[in-house]
Amino acid sequence: MPGVSASSTSSPAGTTSPSGRRARVAARTRLDFWFDAVILAGYTVAYSYGWTGVVIHEWLGIGLGVALLLHLTLHWDWVIRTTKRLLSPRGHDKLIWLVNVLLLLAMTLCVASGIAISRVALPELGLYTLQTPFWFRLHVLTAEVTVGLVSVHVALRWRWIVRVGRRLLAWRPGRQLPR
Amino acid sequence: MKFLRQFGAAAAVVTVVVLLGLAWNRFAPSLPGEGPAGPAFVVRGHAVKGVPPGVKLRPGRESTHGAKPLPAGVGGNVRLNDRSGGPGLLLGDLLKPVNLTVLRQTAVLEAAVIAGVVIVDASYRRVRQARRARASRTRRAPE
Repeated sequence: MPGVSASSTSSPAGTTSPSGRRARVAARTRLDFWFDAVILAGYTVAYSYGWTGVVIHEWLGIGLGVALLLHLTLHWDWVIRTTKRLLSPRGHDKLIWLVNVLLLLAMTLCVASGIAISRVALPELGLYTLQTPFWFRLHVLTAEVTVGLVSVHVALRWRWIVRVGRRLLAWRPGRQLPR
Repeated sequence: MKFLRQFGAAAAVVTVVVLLGLAWNRFAPSLPGEGPAGPAFVVRGHAVKGVPPGVKLRPGRESTHGAKPLPAGVGGNVRLNDRSGGPGLLLGDLLKPVNLTVLRQTAVLEAAVIAGVVIVDASYRRVRQARRARASRTRRAPE
């Protein structure tokens, strides 16, 4: 979640339908919200190695690598815009930018080192892995750093999450509630 | 088209980071905080620095680096941090309370960090708003 794209923040999210009740959220905002939620859940599960076991851990880690790339792509506009604005006096975006850069480094190295020490997923594809102590240690270290930074990354956007989450998860009067 | 361009840029950034990792491994393969004694290991539930003299880790066993000890009250016959190298895909185990503990610990850790940052952020914003309101009040009523 490098940030919230302009389309997310300034989208017509929250405009009401003719009925005046049902909150409508822009498709891009909905995509950002659910995709980010899936990444967060995915990382939480992947980090819980003792729960998943090695097979799920490795395949999920590879999936998270792809998700990270897509996430960065979806928010590339934000990356460019904020990087250009780094010299401006506003502080909040700078902090978010710094956290995001550190998270990019940590998560990329975590996935890369995970691939380097893969015992199941890559050998299954016929690929040999490096299996050196450096990559093992780097994987552990970056995973620990990432779990902290992911939480900070999410928390720094809590207002957006609450705002969009409220609209997306709000009870819709048009729908029948299950009995 | 725009998506592809941005995807290429994102992939380039990720590639640069991976190359940095490879260079790190090649030119200075030590990590911050390791110190001269090397990384910490967990041996029978206790963290030890370095490997005892004369002990060589086999290539398949290095995955114990940084392994965490079992949570209190967790017994032996579980998959928790199982480094045996086996297939480890026993879906039935996922719902065992003893394994769910690991997931719960991660969720609690993340929730604690999120809560901490949210509290700090909300307090900071409240203080800033109060300061701004006070400043505007004094500007409006200069006595």
